[in-house]
Amino acid sequence: MDWQAIFLTLRLAAVVSAILLLVGLPIAYWLAFSGARWKFLVEAVVAMPLVLPPTVLGFYILVTLGQQSPLGRVIKHWFGATLPFSFTGLVVASVLYSLPFAVQPFASGFSAIDSKLVHASWLLGASKLRTFVRVILPLAAPAVLTGVVLSFAHTLGEFGVVLMVGGNIPGLTRTVSISIYDSVQALDYATAGKNALALLIFSFVVLSVVYGFFRRPAGLVR
Amino acid sequence: MNRLEALVKKRLCSRGTPPFELSAYVSIPAGFTMLFGPSGAGKSTLLDCVAGLSRPDEGHVRINDQVVFDAEARIDLPPSRRGIAYVFQRAALFPHLRVEENVAYGLSNLGREQREYRVSKILEAFHVSALGRRKPQEISGGEQQRVALARSLVTEPRTLLLDEPLSALDARIKRKILDDLLAWNEVRHIPILYVTHSHAETLALGERMIRLESGKVLAEGTPREILKGEEVLD
Repeated sequence: MDWQAIFLTLRLAAVVSAILLLVGLPIAYWLAFSGARWKFLVEAVVAMPLVLPPTVLGFYILVTLGQQSPLGRVIKHWFGATLPFSFTGLVVASVLYSLPFAVQPFASGFSAIDSKLVHASWLLGASKLRTFVRVILPLAAPAVLTGVVLSFAHTLGEFGVVLMVGGNIPGLTRTVSISIYDSVQALDYATAGKNALALLIFSFVVLSVVYGFFRRPAGLVR
Repeated sequence: MNRLEALVKKRLCSRGTPPFELSAYVSIPAGFTMLFGPSGAGKSTLLDCVAGLSRPDEGHVRINDQVVFDAEARIDLPPSRRGIAYVFQRAALFPHLRVEENVAYGLSNLGREQREYRVSKILEAFHVSALGRRKPQEISGGEQQRVALARSLVTEPRTLLLDEPLSALDARIKRKILDDLLAWNEVRHIPILYVTHSHAETLALGERMIRLESGKVLAEGTPREILKGEEVLD
């Protein structure tokens, strides 16, 4: 079993889910409550990774963040390193790739909240931030949890984007899915089988825990 | 002197419905003023504009001596800073909070002791003290509206807006809640704008009445003067 790849994948998924929670909540709030006419453009950009082949997305990320690009040169100048073929690069690519898996459930959860509850909170003197923390977030907690779990699970199984942006460097960018691909290429079906089974069991356990949590009475969830 | 004054002009356009224009001036002294009119007259839109939930195209809103909205002067205080309490047709209690937490929601600026004191007093005034530990979904519709009123009034607002808050309740419960509300306002003397399309409610409650139809104020006066000769419907 490729434990190094398993731990790296779990670390990647945890970091990406945490970043998506921080980045995804304000984007989802804006998508759910903004009346801007050009909102559909942002919705389209957020949803893009759902329809783009991972290799296409990976290619553009590679080109945008590469050493030859203006952005890549700025990053190299500031941080002394480039993002492609590094763990940080993998995180950036995974955040972009999994963005809709977090933002869409968050936004659906926010939109489903009765607007009268939000108005009642404002009228009771609460700011928009306090209303978000005390009313919107607790009521949308199942949707937020769904978004976090989906982005975690989606990052676990990434292949195309990871290969394009991170390559296959053991201990740095080699995730479980790439390790499985490597083992199959080397006709090592036993190792591939073990790693695939580990991923399968882990995904099943995570999803079962989440669905089990949602099956509890609503009062307990809230 | 406690008074709510609002001049509101707002054009509403939505697909599939003819454009609607609200153009109304109201000046509400302390006590009950009934805002009476058929569905679609613009009653809720007027209340939303006063509360800051909807932005008028033109006009101004003044509470006592403070201008909270003025389109020309570009003053537009958010709902949280207008000092207005607004109770909707549905109670809109926060379902994840207990009754006492709902009522304490607007008192976050107070210390714990003072907050608890104010909450217990208002729950007592609206006869829902026994429900403090319950969640909104565990109490009846009438109790929910009592809690919604208590939650709004505990903040000691300068104006109270009521958008048919008791329309789903039976006459006996409605009367009891209104008695509690009248008793509460005997001490505070704030302007209360009460939306209804019930003749009986208007005649029973209102010291003053404004008749709104198709976005325009058609008449102002006492309910008996304005509803004279009309069949009493409920």
